[in-house]
Amino acid sequence: MPNSNDLDALGRQTERVLSSPPGTEAGQAAVEARGLVKHYRSREGVVEAVRGVDLRVEAGEVFGFLGPNGAGKSTTVRMLTTLLSITTGSATVAGIDVAAHPDAARLRMGVALQEAGLDPRQTGRELLELQARLFGMKPDDAAARAQQLLELVDLTDAADRRIKGYSGGMKRRLDLASALVHEPEVLFLDEPTTGLDPASRLVVWDEVRRINGRGTTVFLTTQYLEEADQLCDRIAIIDDGRIVREGTPSELKTELQRRLALDTEPTLDDVFLDATGRTRERVAGVVREVGA
Amino acid sequence: MRYTWVLGQRALREALRTPEALLPTLFIPIFFLVVNLGQAGKIFPSSKTDFLHGQNYAAFQLPSSMLLAASFGTAALFLVEDIEGGYFDKLRSSPVPRTALVLGRLVAEVVKGLGIATVLVLLALPFGIHLASGFGGFVLLILLTAMWAVVYVGFMQLIALKTRSAAATNSGGLIFFPLLFLTPNFVPRHLLTHPMEIAATFNPVTYVMEALRSLILDDFVWGRILGGFGVVAALGVIMVFLNLRMIRHYD
Repeated sequence: MPNSNDLDALGRQTERVLSSPPGTEAGQAAVEARGLVKHYRSREGVVEAVRGVDLRVEAGEVFGFLGPNGAGKSTTVRMLTTLLSITTGSATVAGIDVAAHPDAARLRMGVALQEAGLDPRQTGRELLELQARLFGMKPDDAAARAQQLLELVDLTDAADRRIKGYSGGMKRRLDLASALVHEPEVLFLDEPTTGLDPASRLVVWDEVRRINGRGTTVFLTTQYLEEADQLCDRIAIIDDGRIVREGTPSELKTELQRRLALDTEPTLDDVFLDATGRTRERVAGVVREVGA
Repeated sequence: MRYTWVLGQRALREALRTPEALLPTLFIPIFFLVVNLGQAGKIFPSSKTDFLHGQNYAAFQLPSSMLLAASFGTAALFLVEDIEGGYFDKLRSSPVPRTALVLGRLVAEVVKGLGIATVLVLLALPFGIHLASGFGGFVLLILLTAMWAVVYVGFMQLIALKTRSAAATNSGGLIFFPLLFLTPNFVPRHLLTHPMEIAATFNPVTYVMEALRSLILDDFVWGRILGGFGVVAALGVIMVFLNLRMIRHYD
């Protein structure tokens, strides 16, 4: 459970976000992409992984970015988080152009990628302290911040154990904590619950809600539609490198119900299948093929 | 520089916590020293072999073992693990200068190289080896070995960053063996066959080995010593430049 120090720190974070920190003007998007394109060269020729993504995420939102495997979700996130160069188009995070000022943008965002990127030979505490040092903190401040975060994600008992002995859920929570060392304004989570058991998934959901509740904008990619439905204020669906739907979950469901004149309200699964041109039968067929 | 040292400390911690990767860097070079001494020690008795300068053949072989110890390149394999496991992206998402991400491991390699070279010299003393150049020579000996370790890890890091594959990095690292066997490894350069002498002359490892050997067998022969340091410095500059270029274009 968070103690008073955590709450003080998080309170400061909230205050900072709400009072529009330097570089972020009131009304400015937390994340904005315009005509984002990524082409790769491969042996088969040029692969168009992302073909012109436009999106805008407002400060304080939990934004869900959905899509089938290979649709361009992770590529888009990697461009937004400065880990991948942008072929054409532009993107800003907290008002900072990620291509022109990557270091300044990195100071304003936290990143937890698809597979918890952790060093198994360090302890949880060492990893957080190192991450804090890399964000410019002095050793004493880094140690204090690591302790705060360990308490926040309930890992104090395991803090001095090597990460290789952590469970999948513990690794995910530590990864989340490491993305928060510098109190980012925007947190990118790339499939944060993939591979977790249902209980661990619920714990991560709670963490995401708690982080967002303190004022941090969350940009979340997921393949789990229930997760998007539970957590996200708005979602965008990407397919074949393009955004094919965008809106709140209820807006998207209502639009589908109206367009197809359905008697009952569709689920987000139906919205997803409709948006990506897939059908339940086709998906089931694919699953059967894999199973055979 | 602060970030380079912070990342260097982490790389050292990683090495110390993986003794199964560290111990072979001592065991295998000592094994080769013992085997080579056993195979050729009687052919080159100290009393009748001028190039040994009164020492036994182990003293002549020690530089090969030291270069081998400095050429394991495990730091580059740890880098591949970071890349494959996603931790390298975690580091890249921090606002540290990109140069620190590769220089941190190279700085750690200097410290590790100094430690390994010191232990290896101490382990070699029971073979009857003494350093003709004294304590000053010992310092230069371990410094040159550590600098070579940086060059070699720098080379392997290039493969790691380019291929992002442990198998490719490991295979690329094996290039040291042909380089080692194209040196005056068993006899001085002037006793090699003409084609081998030409090959050894074009091999930069030759000059490093001859510098190390001169510090063990001779008093300070500055021409040889500076030749070795010059080669390592030049290769070091090239490797650092290429590593920095690679990380700046890493996608």
